[in-house]
Amino acid sequence: MDLSALEGLERESVLQVLQRDKVLRSLEEERIRRMRSDLQEIRRKGAKSFARQYSERTCARCQRPLGRLWDSGATCRGCSHRICSKCRITSSAHGWECTVCHAYRDLKIKSGEWFLEERAKKFPGGLDRHDTTGEKILKSYQNFSHIAIVPPTPPPFATVPSFNRSGGLQTSKPFTKSMENLFVSLTSHIKKISKSHNDVTADPALLTADSCSVYRKERRSQSDTAINWPFEVCTVECRRPSLSELLRQDRAEEGAESSPAYTDDDTSPGAELPLDKRGSVGSISVGDLGLLDPNVCRTGEIELGLGYSLGTSRLEVSVRACRNLPFGDPKRKKCHPCVKLHLLPDGSKLKTAVKRNTTDPVFNETLEFSMERPLLAGRTLQASVWHSGTLKRRVFLGEALLPLDGWNFEENLTQSARWHQLCPRTKTADIAVEQQNRGLLVRVRFSSSSSSPRQERRPADRPGGGTVLGQLTIQVTGTRNMVENLTKSPGCVNVSVRGLLSLPGGPRQSQEALLQEQGSGSLWSGRLEFSAVPAPGLQGASLELSLWDPAPQGPRPRLLGTARLEEASSWQRVQQTPARGMTLACPSRPAKPEGNIVQTRVTDSRAAGVPQHA
Amino acid sequence: MASATDARYGQKESSDQNFDYMFKILIIGNSSVGKTSFLFRYADDSFTPAFVSTVGIDFKVKTIYRNDKRIKLQIWDTAGQERYRTITTAYYRGAMGFILMYDITNEESFNAVQDWSTQIKTYSWDNAQVLLVGNKCDMEDERVVAGERGRQLSEHLGFEYFEASAKDNINVKQTFERLVDIICEKMSESLDAADPAVTGAKQGPQLTEQPAAPHQDCAC
Repeated sequence: MDLSALEGLERESVLQVLQRDKVLRSLEEERIRRMRSDLQEIRRKGAKSFARQYSERTCARCQRPLGRLWDSGATCRGCSHRICSKCRITSSAHGWECTVCHAYRDLKIKSGEWFLEERAKKFPGGLDRHDTTGEKILKSYQNFSHIAIVPPTPPPFATVPSFNRSGGLQTSKPFTKSMENLFVSLTSHIKKISKSHNDVTADPALLTADSCSVYRKERRSQSDTAINWPFEVCTVECRRPSLSELLRQDRAEEGAESSPAYTDDDTSPGAELPLDKRGSVGSISVGDLGLLDPNVCRTGEIELGLGYSLGTSRLEVSVRACRNLPFGDPKRKKCHPCVKLHLLPDGSKLKTAVKRNTTDPVFNETLEFSMERPLLAGRTLQASVWHSGTLKRRVFLGEALLPLDGWNFEENLTQSARWHQLCPRTKTADIAVEQQNRGLLVRVRFSSSSSSPRQERRPADRPGGGTVLGQLTIQVTGTRNMVENLTKSPGCVNVSVRGLLSLPGGPRQSQEALLQEQGSGSLWSGRLEFSAVPAPGLQGASLELSLWDPAPQGPRPRLLGTARLEEASSWQRVQQTPARGMTLACPSRPAKPEGNIVQTRVTDSRAAGVPQHA
Repeated sequence: MASATDARYGQKESSDQNFDYMFKILIIGNSSVGKTSFLFRYADDSFTPAFVSTVGIDFKVKTIYRNDKRIKLQIWDTAGQERYRTITTAYYRGAMGFILMYDITNEESFNAVQDWSTQIKTYSWDNAQVLLVGNKCDMEDERVVAGERGRQLSEHLGFEYFEASAKDNINVKQTFERLVDIICEKMSESLDAADPAVTGAKQGPQLTEQPAAPHQDCAC
């Protein structure tokens, strides 16, 4: 059907009606969704629970023990469970049903699902509730319409969760039982996961597989002092398979390609589980694992490729695909993912298209940030995955953070593509603050020979006669988030600071000093002096300060972190206040696990100079 | 006849979430038999003698209280004109019940009932509930279709039959309420049949013997 035969005004009129219908349908959708979650609640409360030793002699709904002679229970026609007399609801037509079967029947009525099932008998095309003509017309005419009837909301897709449809149409067994079986099979997986927790946390190889993510987690752990080992927590969360993944595994194990895991096979996986197994996983409940809570379980991976095009001065990010995403709408088992890219802390945002109904979307989009290469230093690429729900509601699915400092950009985007684990949200603000907070506090003083009477004039070093030489004094007054967590006992501080001053066209000077703790906390002192620094060259200078843990047991010292000072304006201010000097915060860069100073020349635009009185 | 005021009214009604279930009803019949007037009388209790042809399709929402249940009705009003046929038939599939209307003062509209009925059979589900309504029964002077003929045809087609008048508000409410009732009956039947413990029958999509009806990609 199309509206091409209609005149413009007629078409607008029809489209308006369809738009109204759409609003109505999304409201209905929402109502049904709520009813479903209510039903879920009832089912979860009772149900033959895997969390408990299940006995024939208890009511499957309220778990009350049943008597042998008196109140011995009876089998529900709907779910075939043994039900006590209190959990029955009598319906006039045919005896009674248990509370869950009754609620399910009620839902079928209220959601209009009975009609969809009936209709499917005549039109077995497997039509979704909202795969409607109106929807199609609206979509196809969005671009042509003169008036603004373009829907403000993403079109609501099929409400009917697949398990319901399949439960209703394709299987003979009642829905409730299949759900319970699903949960039982889930627990066996959960048990596997819980076992593997130790492996994951114990094996450092797994953690260091991706140095970037390690760095990120490290930062998290430093920022979050409330939790002792967020490192571990984070890792475990990332490793937790999503519900979809479990279902997929289930499916694969059962070898049933055609039928999803939650449609009934003749032998239910739950029935095969011995009782003691059920008992052994007793401490884990579904709620604990947050399977029903979209805010807890975040898993999945994203494949990203990063490249930098020097010709166009663009950072190119190839968003290739995601896999094993959690459902953005777990109740309806829906996921319409899209990826947002953000150059933290203040860069622009880019977004991919929304892929519909998939937890393994393939985007293959290349997004470009126009930014000079040096400005990328200190920034973090945040790739967040969102579910685009109805009524513009977006659900956060997970994110990957890639610090761009010292990133080795490759020419070929596709070659550089790598999978990154998606992690729960890190507050964007935290990152920015963290990044700014992490670093060294240094007092920089530059005393040129003209302003310092003690400084000797050395005419030999003044070719051309005009160059003023001076002494650059760097005093490390404190560290922020660099040393505290790495040196365990405060009494035995053994950290040295190494400074490398590079002047444009001039020789490099290297100085090293031992940091000494002053009092408690993060107050330190260490002094580096660079002499014979030509004043005009200072504005192009680059000072790299690195912190080292001499680590006597290791073959070579361990790099804890480096900080850089090389912004021209900072140097300018240093020169303007020769006597007092000024305190600067040098933002730090991540410590590389291999312990090498990275020699790439990067400028940090965010090195904020805070003039203070000495 | 989708005017702005109607839309506003519909929105107020449609945003009301206080109901138990929602039925979709379609009104069909020849042009100018009074479908839109019938709907306006029922939904807004208004009547205007002026004839404005419906463009394509329109709907109204009304919530009623019936059998201890609040039932929200989305009533689709279709254009009777042939040129809109592709649009209107696309909406047959989403409707649980139909009001097939003819004009008692218009022989042609009565003769077309058989065709409309065939359309329903083709495009709608098997248990589609249909009420045959002879409208404009206030115009007794101009009647050309005797009530008896209407009753006989409805028996032949297996529909229930009402004579009604949107203008004088005769049998309008009764028509809709009766239709709601028979849809409810069908619903119970459907649910009981779907209960495998009761019937013992294997439930599932039955492979249709006949090839699927045309317009399979359309639904509402």
